[in-house]
Amino acid sequence: MELTFRKSEITGETIYSGVHSSGLDVYIVPKPEYSGTYAIFGTRYGSVDSDFVVPGETETTHVPDGIAHYLEHKMFDQPDGSNVFDKFSKYGGNANAFTSFNITAYLFSSTSNFEENLATLLDYVQSPYYTDETVEKEQGIIGQEIRMYDDSPGWKLFFNFINCLYNEHPIKKEIAGTVESISHITADYLYKCYNTFYNLSNMSLVIVGNVDVDSAVKVICDGIKNNEPFNEPIKRVYPQEPKTIAKPYAERSMAVAAPMFMLGWKDNDVNKTGSELLKKNIEITILMRMLFGKSSAIYKKLYDMNLINSTFSQDYTMQPDYGFTSLDGESRDPHKVFEIILDELEKTELDEEAFERAKKVTWGSYIRSHNDIEGYAGTFIQLLFMGIDYFDYYDVYKTVTFEDIKARFKEHFKKESAALSVVKPV
Amino acid sequence: MKTVKINENVSLHYISMTKLKTTSVAVYIHRPLCEEEASYNALLPLVLKSATELCPNREAVAKYLENLYGASMGGTTIKCGEDHVIYFDAETISDCYAPEGEPLVEELLNLLMSVLFAPKLEDGAFDSKIVEQEKINAQDRIDAFVNDKRQYASVRCQQETARGTSFSINRLGDKERIKDITAQSLYEHYRSIITSSVIDIYVCGNTDINAAAAAVAEYTDKLVFKKAEIPKTEIIFRPSEEINNVTEKMEVAQGKLAMGFLTNTRPVDDDYYALMVFNSVFGAGAHSKLFNNVREKLSLCYYASSQLERFKGIITVNAGIEFKNFQKAHDEILVQLDEIRKGNITEQEFGASISSIVNVFNSYYDDQRALATNSLMNRVAETGKTLDEIIECVKKVTVSDVVNVSKKLQLDTVYFLKGRGE
Repeated sequence: MELTFRKSEITGETIYSGVHSSGLDVYIVPKPEYSGTYAIFGTRYGSVDSDFVVPGETETTHVPDGIAHYLEHKMFDQPDGSNVFDKFSKYGGNANAFTSFNITAYLFSSTSNFEENLATLLDYVQSPYYTDETVEKEQGIIGQEIRMYDDSPGWKLFFNFINCLYNEHPIKKEIAGTVESISHITADYLYKCYNTFYNLSNMSLVIVGNVDVDSAVKVICDGIKNNEPFNEPIKRVYPQEPKTIAKPYAERSMAVAAPMFMLGWKDNDVNKTGSELLKKNIEITILMRMLFGKSSAIYKKLYDMNLINSTFSQDYTMQPDYGFTSLDGESRDPHKVFEIILDELEKTELDEEAFERAKKVTWGSYIRSHNDIEGYAGTFIQLLFMGIDYFDYYDVYKTVTFEDIKARFKEHFKKESAALSVVKPV
Repeated sequence: MKTVKINENVSLHYISMTKLKTTSVAVYIHRPLCEEEASYNALLPLVLKSATELCPNREAVAKYLENLYGASMGGTTIKCGEDHVIYFDAETISDCYAPEGEPLVEELLNLLMSVLFAPKLEDGAFDSKIVEQEKINAQDRIDAFVNDKRQYASVRCQQETARGTSFSINRLGDKERIKDITAQSLYEHYRSIITSSVIDIYVCGNTDINAAAAAVAEYTDKLVFKKAEIPKTEIIFRPSEEINNVTEKMEVAQGKLAMGFLTNTRPVDDDYYALMVFNSVFGAGAHSKLFNNVREKLSLCYYASSQLERFKGIITVNAGIEFKNFQKAHDEILVQLDEIRKGNITEQEFGASISSIVNVFNSYYDDQRALATNSLMNRVAETGKTLDEIIECVKKVTVSDVVNVSKKLQLDTVYFLKGRGE
């Protein structure tokens, strides 16, 4: 496997990258002074992928909701009946996995025996083993995981919010599915999904930390099993999502102390990837801070009126095909918060000094993101799957101007794209 | 780690760590945990970080931090046993990454010292508008405790297990007491504690320790300090009595079972490291008995784990279960404890436990906050051990040490959070 080497003069970081003949992308960021190393092996496959066309086939395959997450759980069972966690813990590796809307990933961190842990990671993710009996056993565990989310006000708030913004898009659905939907999952379905989405040409491996590049590459080359890369992309079938929102408001009662809210705007400037998408991300991140950060006029007004407290925060979620901004917190009167924010935005004149400060903060958080090997690798792979090279962040960052921000402000914060979700006390 | 004694109460600890791109500063003010003070201590950091002589309001503080490329600064209280610690945490990218060569660490330290020693005053008290706003904020934080049911059940069980001791006091204070605090009374509390408490300042990252010490001394030299000690905590010893059964009802879909055990082992005891390994074998991770039996074998839950609270000597086991599975889960947890007591610990379970603990400790060397916190915890617990020495102690633990320490465990409290209709 040929590797390309790059070094950033600004951060001092280096990176090696290459594509294995199996189709697997590999990225290695060595940090020789670190004690720990972190590896994440991910596939472009998440909870939104319940309808797809297997390469070589013509018919659309439909599988039960929650299957990507279920599959993640079942990867830990091994053909010889052994437990993957046992193998990792033998080498002091701390292993885990997660499933999101668009990604399933398997990972570990270790401070010793990195190569043995890496070999274990590569091996088990390439060793599917499902029987109806083992699949059945997981119903109870995942059933309790779903119940746990049912009691999580933050989780319910978030999903109700997404269900306000989206009409058709599968991000409306719970990542783990429902107790009902997962009851239809069988070993056959799991194999079908595995054989499609876990083809190595749909996957990437990112390693960050105390790693010897040559020996890591050797472990990778030795650990890759036979894999025929797909010649064509996996076609994912998503319904057509209109630009309008589904509904402006949702509420629910739960055992919480004070009303919680999440409000925000649907991003309709979508279907971008790579640098274009990263630039949009930087613009919106800067804007959110300018408008709603602790030094902003809106924050001050809401705080002085005792309408928000220290839990108030802002976020932007993006993928090539969807995106949304969100503000969340606790409030005595979420409707008033929503109303004031929408009114204030109508009157807002963007301030160039606030732009300069927010841009500085964005740069600071990029620099800071290199500290934590897990966080860095996680961000890296997520952006990689959107066609973004996080290592080259500065090249895009430096192009963002105040003019871009003004244009993005007009484009994004439209009253008709906004929605409010509330969880109120029982 | 280098330590500079600024005066008899204030110490500056410096941990050099240039591999990270940031420098972090943590301040710990040690106070005794008691009803009279807890609410004042909880409110104080919220008010102090909102306005100082240097930045007279929240907006000015926020702008100051943004100009330091988004430096962070937070303030809260934590409990190290019955040491109620007022805790400030700040971080900036290190000076060598400042695009214009700005002295970021110095400026951040300056702000933090101003927060601690030069608060904004009006008519000889704190700014009353800020105090009133932060009182609401502090009360909201107390209320919000109920929102996260997993956390709630775990802390409630810990409180119940520590019943009758100061440790059961909420670190966030009491709503009624907070209501009665005024700008004047809070300022008086501040005045009385700032010069009569042990204050530990940790700087971790890339800076000049002498310059940092000078920056601290510039503020402290104007004050007169009265020698103080770090509050001490004794673990709970309670003669075996009936199990304390506590049930609460709430609008929830999943039951939360929490079991509180007394460890009868102090952090300075020789068998403390065996207790740490015991906790790992029992329920701290995917290699543990609780994970592999309560979750994997019986499919009763998504999580079943144990946590050790070293200062009071409490281990809490937590599991999220169907209401009807209460007894099954409860019994299985005790069966797993019994297995350990009988010495039924596999080589795999034991080896994995040691390497998992060692892995966590080694990873602290990549994390400024973890290093500072770990050092502080050991200072409060008076173990007198460095991280490397602790790792060595863990590696020396044997299976029979674990079995012996497990026999000292004593079930004290069984807490269950269930649904309204159950």
